[in-house]
Amino acid sequence: MNEPKDNAFNGIPPEAIAVMQKNAAKQKRFRVSLTIALGCLVGLMFGGGIVLGLNFAFMGKWFGFIIQGIGYTLLVSISAITLACVLAILGALGRLSRNPIANGIATMYVSLIRGTPLLVQVYMWYLALPQIGRALEEYGISGAQSFLTLPAIPAGILALGVCYGAYMTETLRAGIQSIKIGQTEAAKALGMTDRQAMRRVIFPQALRVIIPPVSNEFIVMVKDSSLVSLMGVWEISYRAIKIGRRYFSSLEMLVMAALIYWVMCIILQTIQEKIERHMARGERRVS
Amino acid sequence: MSEIMIKIENLHKVFGSDLHVLQGINLEVKKGEVIVILGPSGSGKSTLLRCINFLEEPTAGTIEVNGVRINAGEEGKVRKSKILDIRKAAGMCFQSFNLFPHMTVIDNVIEGPVTVLGQSKKEAIPYAEELLEWVGLGDKRNEYPARLSGGQQQRVAIARSLAMKPEIMLFDEPTSALDPELVGEVVDVMERLAKEGMTIIAVTHELHFARDVSTRALIMDGGNWVEEGPPEELFTNPKEDRSKQFLAHILE
Repeated sequence: MNEPKDNAFNGIPPEAIAVMQKNAAKQKRFRVSLTIALGCLVGLMFGGGIVLGLNFAFMGKWFGFIIQGIGYTLLVSISAITLACVLAILGALGRLSRNPIANGIATMYVSLIRGTPLLVQVYMWYLALPQIGRALEEYGISGAQSFLTLPAIPAGILALGVCYGAYMTETLRAGIQSIKIGQTEAAKALGMTDRQAMRRVIFPQALRVIIPPVSNEFIVMVKDSSLVSLMGVWEISYRAIKIGRRYFSSLEMLVMAALIYWVMCIILQTIQEKIERHMARGERRVS
Repeated sequence: MSEIMIKIENLHKVFGSDLHVLQGINLEVKKGEVIVILGPSGSGKSTLLRCINFLEEPTAGTIEVNGVRINAGEEGKVRKSKILDIRKAAGMCFQSFNLFPHMTVIDNVIEGPVTVLGQSKKEAIPYAEELLEWVGLGDKRNEYPARLSGGQQQRVAIARSLAMKPEIMLFDEPTSALDPELVGEVVDVMERLAKEGMTIIAVTHELHFARDVSTRALIMDGGNWVEEGPPEELFTNPKEDRSKQFLAHILE
């Protein structure tokens, strides 16, 4: 049905074959032109860099130093997305729950976190939490202040994870609700409990639906991980800003940092496409 | 033949605050009976069927399936586990098949035994293959549902229900979503199931099944029975005016 057969031309009239070949040629022309257009744009950007007198030797010299920050960027992003996924599952189940306490907590979580700027949240975790610790200590909980005084990286991971968990809660909830009611009914008619129906039937299908938005959120988060530079973590953008300022070469350094993020996101996008194709194996395809 | 499989007493279902769909239904089904429920759309046939396995919550009345008895308004854990027992005893096929699209045909069929009955895949597969063979789809075991025709999907859905070894099968308009030339293959499977002694309740307007296979036909309208009887009698000589009107429509 999907793969063209070897003997597909059997019985197809020649004028139809001519049309089919013309369509195929048109598609191929489009792909080639698109590649050329993208190539030209990259060339144009590179040319623009030359015109502006970017110091490529300087960029090359500091590339090694700046790329070292990728470790922090990846550590923060991957830890935060893991935390966000866990929170999103709990949050979505809470939002769909008929238990008023679970539902209330989840609804409040999403509303509060989505309703406040990430920048404020980052500072909350880093700068305001110790104050809460001190208040608790005054109520007699000893050690609270030092426990709640977080180093920059854990604070960044918590801030990003909790924030993206709230957005992903809504993505996941929508994904679960997009699965037709007939699927739940079929699972229940077999004698499954609510939990079994969710785990075996609804969740796997919802997962397929939410791969694109969740990948999208992950890509945004990789870039938002640069917010931890506010707390003095030596990740990519912090290094770029520091070096750029010191040598009055911010343009070079920022362009380089931007390129590194861009390449990372292109890689992530490729992975996303692979996963999507794998998950879509039971689907009818539009060819 | 006299063991009672399903007993429904004074069943009411109200949707929202004033949509009184079922108005005091009574029904007794003996083991091995093949019941066909007919009636105009909106008369409550599907709702009745879905109340039997509690996909729809009865508002009042009592339902007893395979010796498990639940009163409407009961609550708590005991009731929940009784509902699961009823669902294990009563397989159901839907108008829109509702196969699990992310699983292959064989995985669809073993899903019930593995997840609900706790069998291992190895234990479940031989019987699942036998069932697929029985519905004539042995060669489709590794296909995904999206690659099957409607008739094939419905036959897989029947096999999926049978894998739970149910005592009763409920069919909710199993052929209504099918192209005319695909209806036959599904009805054929239902007919063979009836001949093997399965207790069946089917909501269907498929005339061959209703007239030649069923042992009892009931006509429903406005949330209650209009008339019931052996199919040949009901079809040739209906007593109520409402039955006559309705049968005239579907016999066209």
